[in-house]
Amino acid sequence: MEQTDAPVVSNTHLTGEYWLLEVEAPSVAAALEPGQFVNIRIRDSLAPFLRRPFSVYRVNPEKTRLQVAYKILGNGTRLMKETLQPGALCDLIGPLGKGFELPEDAKTIALVGRGIGIAALPMLADLAAARGVTSHAFLSARSRDNLVGAEIFASHGGQVFTHADDTPDDVALVTDHLLRMAESTAFDAMYVCGSNRLIRQVDKLARAHGIPAQSAMEQHMACGFGDCHGCIIEVNLDRDGESRGYREVCHHGPVFNTWEVANA
Amino acid sequence: MPDLSITIAGIEMKNPLTVGSGTYGHHGRFSQFFPVETMGALVPKTIRPHQWPGNPPQRVLEVPAGLHSSVGIPSIPWDQFETEDAPRLKALNLPVIQSVIGRTEDEYAEVVRRCTDLDAFAGLELNLSCPNLKQGGLDFGYDPDAAYRLVSRAREQTDLPLIAKLAPDYSSLVPVAQAIEAAGADAVALVNAPRAMCIDADTLKPMIGNGVGALSGPAIKPMAVYMVWTLYRAISLPIFGMGGVATYRDVIEFMAAGASAVAFGTVSYVDPMALPRALRELEAWMAQNGIDDVEQLVGAAHDADFERPQSRRVA
Ligand SMILES: Cc1cc2nc3c(=O)[nH]c(=O)nc-3n(C[C@H](O)[C@H](O)[C@H](O)COP(=O)(O)OP(=O)(O)OC[C@H]3O[C@@H](n4cnc5c(N)ncnc54)[C@H](O)[C@@H]3O)c2cc1C
Ligand SMILES: Cc1cc2nc3c(=O)[nH]c(=O)nc-3n(C[C@H](O)[C@H](O)[C@H](O)COP(=O)(O)O)c2cc1C
Ligand code: FES
Repeated sequence: MEQTDAPVVSNTHLTGEYWLLEVEAPSVAAALEPGQFVNIRIRDSLAPFLRRPFSVYRVNPEKTRLQVAYKILGNGTRLMKETLQPGALCDLIGPLGKGFELPEDAKTIALVGRGIGIAALPMLADLAAARGVTSHAFLSARSRDNLVGAEIFASHGGQVFTHADDTPDDVALVTDHLLRMAESTAFDAMYVCGSNRLIRQVDKLARAHGIPAQSAMEQHMACGFGDCHGCIIEVNLDRDGESRGYREVCHHGPVFNTWEVANA
Repeated sequence: MPDLSITIAGIEMKNPLTVGSGTYGHHGRFSQFFPVETMGALVPKTIRPHQWPGNPPQRVLEVPAGLHSSVGIPSIPWDQFETEDAPRLKALNLPVIQSVIGRTEDEYAEVVRRCTDLDAFAGLELNLSCPNLKQGGLDFGYDPDAAYRLVSRAREQTDLPLIAKLAPDYSSLVPVAQAIEAAGADAVALVNAPRAMCIDADTLKPMIGNGVGALSGPAIKPMAVYMVWTLYRAISLPIFGMGGVATYRDVIEFMAAGASAVAFGTVSYVDPMALPRALRELEAWMAQNGIDDVEQLVGAAHDADFERPQSRRVA
């Protein structure tokens, strides 16, 4: 973890509601693992006051630059689009949190994402491809142009299933595809990010097949590095959900096992 | 070189900068950004004698120029504090002032005694003002009689310097501070984060899990400065000032109002380097302005003919 003033390389429209920020941050990029995040101070002023956490979308092959895909939600992200332009410096802290675990012997994995949650997955797909692991992607969003990164998953050769809520020909949900594919394909691990319903479905499937499944979580944060105790979520402390406790998303997560969070 | 050292409540600090309890966490991960020994004293998160998970989510929310929070002082089991945290804190090369809280007078006395027995701390801070606990904390700091009894009980348990931490919510701030002084405290710390609430205009429900929370950060600074200024005139105890401090100029402001030491809180979440930068800039500012001793700043905003009550106890 370090704080750095990273020169902005670009900040452009990605697709639908999403924008893509790319910064030059060699030491952070080199240390980043898929699923980790960075905490960005949008400007040196009291508004916005807190930093804003973002998953890292991708790192370039030389590991000198990192990308964040973001949705404009409120004041912070609106200013991020306006002020973090090439020539500006982006004050970021990273890498933060605990990323996804890709089992050493994995051969085939499933990546399941919805909406902006998909933004946490391309870096994992890149790592999988580099290790010769096939990843199949199951992506959904409210509309077709909000299916971020579909081409990245496709470029690694795995299958990509998509579903957009508002597209009449997308009748099958991605979970239908996932369930069907799981009957004939031995997934070694599953990864999910984006909605509680998806997490529950993936967890059910993972339990049935006895394979690991992980999910990246979000919570409002103040520090992002484990000091304020602000970003907790309630988790299962055992697989049966008999005892519960709090965990900090920024420090213990943002990646958790799905059994920890499925019923929380 | 200007002299930045101060002695407060008998505790020697090489500079007046410290951290507000709780904002440094249990682990002080922000000190990965700079050596913890940079500060004059460390105040770790409040500890209570019993394990407690803290308040439900959502715990933090940004508000204009500040943070609305309700963490609720999650506490690790006492055994873990004793075997892991205390030795680690003791090994640091700076005074550590441990903050403590209880739900009852007995619990306060118990945690003060246990902390004293650990022989790890330069002083103890009694948190009399947590806005986020349903029982304990705030009520003791609200009532001069209760505050007097509590501080007297704590005083019997320890020879360590005792600092009472107060919140600005009270109309009875001055009587409470006077009671604390009479009961034998060595210093006061203020302000704790005042109580606050945010309601969602769509759901008409409070926006954080506990309903009621606290407000911290630059939004509260003018109020905090006023409280320090008020107590400087009302009591003779030295003051740890805090509330929205972000820069060296804020440090000067608090010291001029009457604080002998100044704590960085919420700002460290946003800018972990705020404290070491302020220290450098304070030193440069003193050199430029020909101020050779930082103690000259303490109370400088009060009228020249204003006389502070005579100090009863140490420094
Ligand atoms: C680990 C993590 C990874 C994330 N990754 C991405 C990502 O890749 N792309 C993306 O677009 N968004 C991501 N988010 C959500 C993103 O942080 C928020 O959308 C953003 O903070 C909104 O800021 P704002 O000022 O525009 O909105 P406002 O509503 O004005 O934000 C106000 C406050 O709420 C906080 N906040 C609001 N929504 C969230 C949220 N969902 N999670 C945490 N804090 C929030 C902000 O940090 C700020 O303190 C992530 C959040 C977390 C915790
Ligand atoms: C997240 C958070 C946790 C805190 N926890 C404690 C605590 O455990 N004990 C305590 O005495 N004060 C606690 N405080 C209060 C701070 O120490 C400080 O008094 C207050 O935040 C005002 O300073 P600031 O505006 O610079 O943060 C906490 C504040 C915050 C924001
Ligand atoms: S955001 Fe501060 S502990 Fe997670």
